[in-house]
Amino acid sequence: MVTIDLAKITTREANEKIRDYGAKGEDVEVLNPDARHHIGVGLIHPIRVNVRGSAGYFCAGLSDGARFEVDNNVGWGLGDNMYTGSVVVGGNAGAIAGVAIRGAEVVVRGNMGSRAGQVMKAGTLACVGNANFMAGYMMYGGRIIIIGNSGEKLGEDMSGGEIYLGGSLQSLGTDAKVTDVDGAEIDDIRAFLDRYEIDFKGGFQKIVNAGKNLRYSTTEQQMRSIPFFSFSGSSDYWNPKIQEDIHIKSQIGRYRVRGYGGARELPHLSDLAFKRDVTHAAKVADPVSKVEMHTLIGGKNGANPLDLSMPVLIAPMSYGALSRSTKQAIGIASGLSDIAENTGEGGMSDAQRGAAKQLIFQCLGGRLGWNIHDMNRADGLEIYISQGAKPGFGGQLMAKKVTKELAEIRGIPAGIDLRSPSRHPDILGADDLVIKVEELREATGYRLPVSVKLGAGRIRDDIKIAVKDGFDCVELDGMQGSTGAGGAEIMEYVGIPTLSAIIEALDALDDINCRDKVEIVLMGGIRDGVDAVKALCLGADAVALGTSAIIAGGCIACMQCHVGTCVTGIATQDPEHEKRYKPEVEARNIHRYLEGVRWQIAALTHALGHDAVTSLNRDDLVALTPEAAAITRLPYAPEYRDNQLQKAG
Amino acid sequence: MCGIAGIMYKHGAEGFDTGAALIDMLDGCQHRGPDSTGYALYGESHEGQIKLRFFIGSGPEAEASVERVRAALAEHQARIIEDETIAENYRVVVDFKGDLQRFSYAMEHASKLISLGESLEIIKDVGGAHEVDERYHVKQYSGTHGLGHVRLATESEVKPEAAHPFWATGFSDVAIVHNGQITNYWKMRRRLERRGFEFTTDNDSELIAVYLADQMSNGVALRDALGTSIDDLDGTFSFLVSTKDEIGYAKDHLAVKPMIMYETDDLIAVASEEVSLNRLFPGQALDTYEPPPGSFNTWSRST
Repeated sequence: MVTIDLAKITTREANEKIRDYGAKGEDVEVLNPDARHHIGVGLIHPIRVNVRGSAGYFCAGLSDGARFEVDNNVGWGLGDNMYTGSVVVGGNAGAIAGVAIRGAEVVVRGNMGSRAGQVMKAGTLACVGNANFMAGYMMYGGRIIIIGNSGEKLGEDMSGGEIYLGGSLQSLGTDAKVTDVDGAEIDDIRAFLDRYEIDFKGGFQKIVNAGKNLRYSTTEQQMRSIPFFSFSGSSDYWNPKIQEDIHIKSQIGRYRVRGYGGARELPHLSDLAFKRDVTHAAKVADPVSKVEMHTLIGGKNGANPLDLSMPVLIAPMSYGALSRSTKQAIGIASGLSDIAENTGEGGMSDAQRGAAKQLIFQCLGGRLGWNIHDMNRADGLEIYISQGAKPGFGGQLMAKKVTKELAEIRGIPAGIDLRSPSRHPDILGADDLVIKVEELREATGYRLPVSVKLGAGRIRDDIKIAVKDGFDCVELDGMQGSTGAGGAEIMEYVGIPTLSAIIEALDALDDINCRDKVEIVLMGGIRDGVDAVKALCLGADAVALGTSAIIAGGCIACMQCHVGTCVTGIATQDPEHEKRYKPEVEARNIHRYLEGVRWQIAALTHALGHDAVTSLNRDDLVALTPEAAAITRLPYAPEYRDNQLQKAG
Repeated sequence: MCGIAGIMYKHGAEGFDTGAALIDMLDGCQHRGPDSTGYALYGESHEGQIKLRFFIGSGPEAEASVERVRAALAEHQARIIEDETIAENYRVVVDFKGDLQRFSYAMEHASKLISLGESLEIIKDVGGAHEVDERYHVKQYSGTHGLGHVRLATESEVKPEAAHPFWATGFSDVAIVHNGQITNYWKMRRRLERRGFEFTTDNDSELIAVYLADQMSNGVALRDALGTSIDDLDGTFSFLVSTKDEIGYAKDHLAVKPMIMYETDDLIAVASEEVSLNRLFPGQALDTYEPPPGSFNTWSRST
């Protein structure tokens, strides 16, 4: 056994050493831990780590296979996301012990703090003392054994798994119930307790999900096929959209959930025009060769940046909302065009990893599919806070799409209406977020850029927090963004338009003189290279395309993404429907579309008199409407309305 | 969005290194709040003597502020015993007998008053725990107890007066450090304003201080005031409060904001994270305690 003394080296150095010793199979003893955070995170070798004292937040987090022992206490997030292996704590654990574990054994010999086992998927969390408030909150699977007493709201909103309680039950959470325990379960618990030398001879109450909230009580009928353009374009008072909305609500008696984006007219990039006459752009031969478009994203704090052939990324979209074949096609196309793809919520598939050359791996509140191994094979990490289409709300994946295979990769029960948590278990403020970002960096050896996805809300405050919390990049998502499923009213009426979002974000960075500290990737209704160039002129470092990439790959914009029976095989998990989608063919289509975007960006940049996209600036733009002028502070010049590339094309 | 710390030596005369202890504790959790750092320190007190600290800025602006303060003191028959300018602060000790609330509002109108009390002095500024110490010599403060705070500004600006701790404007010797957000701030503030209280910032932490001090001035014990605060204040919070002789905490029902404490026969130390407590006792495994949701407690020093 080798010894590491935290009184002498930093946690970062210690973690590097622990990983090195892990690779060699040597056990490690950590001296003078003094409650420092992140001890042992990211360890993926089956060694023993003995921590001689107290550890801080996320001890043993994002690890797989190691056996940790902590002599005294630990802070928040003990064993965060641990796959296999074990961690045994001699003293007390802070809040969210065993958060998001996926198979590990987590044992606390003292008491544990609030929300223990939040969003855990598999494995065992055992507490010899008392549990605090809301143990088992939103757990999806696995078991929690509490020898002492429960706090309030035990099993709040759990959707799977079991809680065994030896002491007294203070109160049950929403949708939890007490049920019978059978002999085999008790034998199994006894064997577990024996293994960890926990002496308890008493009986257990068993708490499980009561099954009242797992699915909406009424399913939404399929809509008539009203194409998005007639859905969104008409200003008629009682238009088909309004009628449809009333019909459906008269059947289901609640708010509606649908796919696609909001359909209201909002100020957007199309309300801006280029100041120079760009109609000749189409006539220039091979503009791509004349303009520098190469873009690095995420390298400002020392991580390896994403290396993009143009200032374009694929927007985060989940495997779940979209079929595996669709994610594969987008991955291939992103690779062919040499830009970056993003996993969205719900994990990384081998097909997607293999297809994409550069892949950002997204971490959401439910930690669905999140794990250290896929982090290690990602090219960037991203913490999702919210999205533009439904800021402040979690994802919705209707039961039809939660197939066995999909449930497995996410670590959740199959066939539930999955309402992803709207907030992270361990990010309840900017102060917690600092520690979370550091955990991701520690676990991956500071190699990967870490970005934050922000749905436009209180942008001016949020962007400043993002900078202070040390993010390398902000993916800023405006209200015109789409989603696989969301409350219809939320999509229409909640959010900040993309145009306002970028301006507020840049103003915020200017407020704190940090324009060059972080990169901004703008998304939310970016349709083509024209929108992209306008976004770059305003000050975005790059843009991300979601809906347009889907449409390029065959989407017919019928807005039935939530139903799960997508006729094009895009927004479905049903093999019969997915069969219709030909990933190789659609990958080519998406790639050709992306090359079209590249051409547009190059042609416009050239026509505006620049030889690099980084030279684009606000002076290249005017506003066509008073609203856009007010938002952007660009000169109001409606006379420029004809001066668009589309006309030339 | 912040880190908080508090310490009280329960027995004996004044003279413990509270300044140095708080610097260590706050340095330990500076990651929670890199923007500004502050200290509420309780030192020796003398009957009838009031210590005041003001932000005065620098240069001619500072001189004008000091003149205004001196004039206001004279107007209220407060006799200056000692005064000095330290970095951007003006510290003055006066003899004063009279209506303290009216006096403190008048001082507040003269310049930016940071703290007022027989024993309390608040030192706070932009920067880290050690930077503020270098500017204001926190290390030299000794006493029986004190609070500290590191701040990450989320909604309000990064400026010295927005830093914590907050003094309960109008009430002698009451200070607070708070991590969280009071969501019924304006409702509570209007209720207090209608009764004549003045607020010098829009910070929700000042509200908690005034709320508690108001209760205490009506004869309610600090402990009981903390108990009602958990139901009267809405939001997510973990806060520490101190008076001349007591230190206390309250934590909301959802327990969203962290707090951990270490208590022996001789001292009580409270912080957002155990790493701060371990700074006081390096290399030791401490028997700490995490207070449950919706809880509160107080400790007093024996003199």
